Amino acid sequence: MALLHVNHLTKHFGGLAAVQNVNFEIGRGEIVSLIGPNGAGKTTIFNLLSGIYSPDKGEIRLDGEDLVGRKPFEICHRGIGRTFQIMQPFPHMTVFENVATSGLFGRRPRVSMDRVGEEAIELCRWVGLGDKLKAYPRNLTVADQKKIEIARALAVKPKLLLLDEVMSGLTPAETAEAIKLIRQLQERGMTIFLIEHVMKVVMGISDRVIVLHHGEKIADGTSDMVANDQGVIEAYLGEPMEETGESLC
Amino acid sequence: MDWASFFQSFANGLLIAGLYAAVTLGLTLVLGVMGIVNFAHGEMVMLGAYNTFWLCTLLKVDPLASIAASGLLLFFVGLFIYRFTIRPILTDPPLNQLLLTLGISIFLQNLAMILWKTDSRSVITSYSGMSLHLGLVHVGLTRLLTFLIAVGLTIVLVLFLYKARSGRAMRAVSENNTASWLIGINVQRTYLLAFGVAAGLAGASGALVSTIMYTYPMVGFKIGLKAFCILVLGGLGNIPGALLGSLILGLTESFVGTYVPEGSGWAEGISFILIMIILIIKPTGLVGTRRE
Amino acid sequence: MIHSFSRAKVIFLILLAVFLLWYPKLADPYFLHLTVTAFLAMILASSWDILARTGQVSVGQAGLFGIGAYTAALLYKWIHLSPVLGMFSGGIIAVMVAAFLGTLTLRLRGIYFSITTIAFAEALSVIWLMTPDFAGGAMGLSTPPLFGGNREQAYYLILALLALVILTVWLIQATRLNFAFTAIRENEEVANVIGINPTRYKVLAFMISAFFTGFAGGFYSHYNTYIIPYEVFGLGISIACLVMPIFGGLYTIAGPIIGTIVIKAIEEYLRVTVSYGHQIAYGLILVVVVLFMPEGLVGLWKKTILRR
Repeated sequence: MALLHVNHLTKHFGGLAAVQNVNFEIGRGEIVSLIGPNGAGKTTIFNLLSGIYSPDKGEIRLDGEDLVGRKPFEICHRGIGRTFQIMQPFPHMTVFENVATSGLFGRRPRVSMDRVGEEAIELCRWVGLGDKLKAYPRNLTVADQKKIEIARALAVKPKLLLLDEVMSGLTPAETAEAIKLIRQLQERGMTIFLIEHVMKVVMGISDRVIVLHHGEKIADGTSDMVANDQGVIEAYLGEPMEETGESLC
Repeated sequence: MDWASFFQSFANGLLIAGLYAAVTLGLTLVLGVMGIVNFAHGEMVMLGAYNTFWLCTLLKVDPLASIAASGLLLFFVGLFIYRFTIRPILTDPPLNQLLLTLGISIFLQNLAMILWKTDSRSVITSYSGMSLHLGLVHVGLTRLLTFLIAVGLTIVLVLFLYKARSGRAMRAVSENNTASWLIGINVQRTYLLAFGVAAGLAGASGALVSTIMYTYPMVGFKIGLKAFCILVLGGLGNIPGALLGSLILGLTESFVGTYVPEGSGWAEGISFILIMIILIIKPTGLVGTRRE
Repeated sequence: MIHSFSRAKVIFLILLAVFLLWYPKLADPYFLHLTVTAFLAMILASSWDILARTGQVSVGQAGLFGIGAYTAALLYKWIHLSPVLGMFSGGIIAVMVAAFLGTLTLRLRGIYFSITTIAFAEALSVIWLMTPDFAGGAMGLSTPPLFGGNREQAYYLILALLALVILTVWLIQATRLNFAFTAIRENEEVANVIGINPTRYKVLAFMISAFFTGFAGGFYSHYNTYIIPYEVFGLGISIACLVMPIFGGLYTIAGPIIGTIVIKAIEEYLRVTVSYGHQIAYGLILVVVVLFMPEGLVGLWKKTILRR
């Protein structure tokens, strides 16, 4: 059974369909990318999955459990962790405290404060923030703040990790580091669903790619399949392929 | 069905709604243009009322004629307050803005107590007791004039916002301050002016308040709460909403005053109860706000 | 993650405790009374701070204070309930009201929460004025002097309550609660996504804060022997609750305490010079704190210590 089942997912905002009848699955241990032009509905899907919005129609099942209508903290307890596109670390907490807070409240079953502390230190070291445990987010670089987001999401020991545009704003070196991190996560058995714009990254690390356009799914397959899909190309370029003669890669 | 009573209530409610609208206009303007809820707005009304009271008592100036004086005085007070306390905190978190304007409010309330004691003052004119008969309805002359002036203030404000350069700038900034800045509008100066105009409106409506209610240090707090109620009722930051909200509050208070036993006492509490009911049911206010 | 106390701190606390316990023998009645009112204010300040830690800025604590005051006074009037039990009941009733109000106001952000709390306190004031048969109306209610006028006993009671409040705040800071409250305050949506149930903690904070505020109200009604709605539901109390912790330093243990001491001193001075309007200092302090020292006295102290 796949880890995540999404069926007929639909969400309207004031008459406009942000997400329309979307169906997809994510298998255990897969890295799946969600791509699409701006405004396609990608972050809406993440918000639906993490419980910030509730769907007008449709089903979301994680490991067989129905998530629709549940509050964000309940969904977190059932195994979804996410980062935010606009980074939102807790400003008056240190890096360590940011990560520890998730560990204290996001995990089920709950774990002692000491254990959470140890694991938080370990997690920070693993993402590369080991020497910045006592720093405050506002004094850190963009890349480091993203690491806080990732560590914070990982601290809840999720079954499914949602990464929302982690690569944006990173230098090539930082991007390579991030890719390495994601691969390592997969090796440790994590299932990852990511929204990305950086095509090189998407094509390089994804087992599968889902393409969204105007709130609807228009493609779902391996990177090669999707790159050569006519509908996808048109969606990105806005013109029929014959006239431009370009392909996505 | 006692129609006379009904129409009298309606008339009273309408007339007081005019006053409430005048009081709320400035609050709405500041909220719309800068996104700040000015807790000290009521106190500016209070200062306008006291200014009118003293002009009337010491210099025999007619209260309704002193509107310009009170308005102008508070305009400058507003500029001062903006420049030295509001401008520094424009980008602060809302908590700080709340505490700052609350602090100014408390300061002014207590300053009034120290300067002028807590006695309630009345502004009496030669025509204070007169009333007109319009059909079934008795209308106090003072109230009618106050209402007409309040309507006048509203019209002047609307004209200002739509015809005057600075007024249009204020509307632009309230929609989108970045875009406004990009097209060359001096956003800082617009904020300054908006705050001043809002304070001036408060001062002018304070003059009106002094003719209808007692003037005392806490009158600003009382009427300020009503203004908050209207904000919440009608629209956080938009003028038609404020007018609608004023009407709703004015009429409700009036009808409760007439039809509920011992209603005049309960009418005072209407604004608080309305605030709580509305915010609890719809946390962003009845009409919602552009700034959410 | 319980902090271990340094030797110096322990010795200091022991000396302080001895001093506080011996104090009534040393102080004259005027200062004893002053200290009791100061302790009362510290309780209000610390309870307000507890609520503020979750981002709920109440400008209507007087509502809960007044409920506590009237509960104690009415229970005495109706069934001659002993004062201490009356105060305790005041706390309990306040908790129930807070649980109810807290649940209703969950979705209110920032200013709208504050405005609702102001409306709450004012609405109670109006209701009380309009129901004189029930609770005395504008004429107020009297109770006989607390402990027969024995100020020493009153002192020990309020000291005990203060110690309880401080212990509560300390516990909050030393446990998970601290992280939950802070996370909710900084970013409720993100806190929710990482597994914190905002409802549970926000209402909890409200209830804890309400208990102490209500109990303090009950104490006030017996200690003062006379309460009127204008005063116990009044804006002055709500403002006092927030100025002291803000001035002293939010979200700390020492902040509300130190803030209270300094403000009470200023207030006593003003009270003998000006008959009304001594709260003018409160307004000025709020403005100064926001503009120049947002972290209060404690923050100022930390900055100067660190600079050395």
